[in-house]
Amino acid sequence: MIPASFDYEVAESTEHAIQLLGEREDAKLLAGGHSLLPAMKLRIARPACLVDIVGLTELDYVREDGDRIAIGAVTRHKDVRDAQLLQEHCPIVSFTAGQVGDPQVRHRGTIGGSISHSDPASDLPTVLFALDAELVVRGAGGERTIPALDFCTGVFETALQEGEMLVEIRVPKLGASTGWSYVKMARRAQDWATVGVAAVVERSNGGISRAAIALTNMGATAVRARAAEQAIVDGAGIDEAAALVTEGRNPPSDHAASADFRKHLATVLARRALEEAASAE
Amino acid sequence: MHTATIRCLPTGSVQVVTGTSPHGQGHETAWAQIVADQLGCDMDAVEVLHGDTSISSIGMDTYGSRSLPVGGVALYNAAAKVIDKARQIVAHQLEVSPDDLDFADGTFTVKGSPDKEATLASVAFGAWAAHDLPDGMEPGLEATAVYDPPNFSWPAGAHAAVVEVDTETGDTRLLRYVAVDDVGNPVNPMIVDGQVHGGITQGVAAALYEEGGYDEDANLTTTTMTTYLVPSPAEVPSYETDRTVTEADNPLGVKGVGETGTIAAAPAVINAVVDALAHLGVTDVQMPATPERVWNAIQEARP
Repeated sequence: MIPASFDYEVAESTEHAIQLLGEREDAKLLAGGHSLLPAMKLRIARPACLVDIVGLTELDYVREDGDRIAIGAVTRHKDVRDAQLLQEHCPIVSFTAGQVGDPQVRHRGTIGGSISHSDPASDLPTVLFALDAELVVRGAGGERTIPALDFCTGVFETALQEGEMLVEIRVPKLGASTGWSYVKMARRAQDWATVGVAAVVERSNGGISRAAIALTNMGATAVRARAAEQAIVDGAGIDEAAALVTEGRNPPSDHAASADFRKHLATVLARRALEEAASAE
Repeated sequence: MHTATIRCLPTGSVQVVTGTSPHGQGHETAWAQIVADQLGCDMDAVEVLHGDTSISSIGMDTYGSRSLPVGGVALYNAAAKVIDKARQIVAHQLEVSPDDLDFADGTFTVKGSPDKEATLASVAFGAWAAHDLPDGMEPGLEATAVYDPPNFSWPAGAHAAVVEVDTETGDTRLLRYVAVDDVGNPVNPMIVDGQVHGGITQGVAAALYEEGGYDEDANLTTTTMTTYLVPSPAEVPSYETDRTVTEADNPLGVKGVGETGTIAAAPAVINAVVDALAHLGVTDVQMPATPERVWNAIQEARP
């Protein structure tokens, strides 16, 4: 319960943070710390240096960006939850930010920290997968944009290169005909999701014509349920599509649920998410 | 058995040495209340010493809801001894019979002569100064009592739980919990409520959450608080508690309270889970009733 020794640096600016990441051996960004610090206490993670970026107000914002909403990487979960722009244009993000952990976590944890940690049991990566969100990362060589789907590459692994940091998350403004839902099951409020399902659907004629479905804690990263999505396009009903979300999935077995039970839960929660998304006003 | 020593110091403050070992149960508060009630002194004047074998060598710890009905009664008996010795001293000093003295609110008065009085604090000062004591009386005002109760005390109660089970996922939530307990005379109602609330949560935890898990090689897998699930306030409702008072057969009329919640909550919650699933043919769910166990019980009960 005591982390290995580490150095601590406070970044004065995004550039300073990137500079420190490049200069310091085995440095890691601290952006809230509600996942990283417990991992360090368990010695699952033992970075030699923490670069604290949570005070970078230049990365703490939610603003309009054409047909998208841009969210700064160190925006806290509770500020994402409370952001009117998101509540109006992409409410699945603000809603889900309000479902992360418990109040303490939501007041310290940040959206960029959550995604960069790439825990397959976290809620927000799943929602960004379902939205086909874009992530802006910056390094010494400049900025590049990575689709959220390509960002999480494994358990606690991302497409971030050495010396790069996530600076912005861009989500689409959802249209009037778009329905959404995020449902999850967790043992306790403070626990990671046993299983979660995000659904973003196009409603038409009382049914749904297209759906993006993503799953939490059903593999090494958040993951899209492509077979189920295709079934919707091909005219399948919600029950039929939901039954397909576990196709190709190899979820973990742990104290919260066995792999088989997770598959069952994913099917039930996918049906509920699709039903809610289809009926949302 | 339990021992208790009460030492009325010449300064007017009172030292209490108890053989009970509080670790969060509030003995310092409740014991000070008992002594202050008996001796008629201010609660703040009572210092409760415990948990150190160099000052309190004899006692049988704190377990089995025994501290108050055994250790608390020992304290009461020690207070009676202190008052009795003080009565002898005051009777000697006021030249009256001990039987002619009343004791209330920390002061001795002579029956029929209300102007003649002596406070316990003044008696304590004189007793330690060894001034004007009855012939042959040992100086000081201190007494030790050892108490072995002739019988157990019998706290009783009835607890009811309302749970909601999601039969598709096995997810089980405690919606309402009502507990009515009889712990005899409550010395400190807030501490009693705290003990009941904490005990209920521990019982709920046993029923729905806490479990030590092992892998195939017998290694403990639930080694952190993220895998060993202790419920937080978010998982439990506000409990509804009430009391009846049936005095136990001891001088304080008190019973234990530490175990009422734990003992009742686990079966109350599990019985509620089984009752919620009875129409599906479920007759038992192993504790803790995890979503997976509940869902499996439903599947196995299916005809």
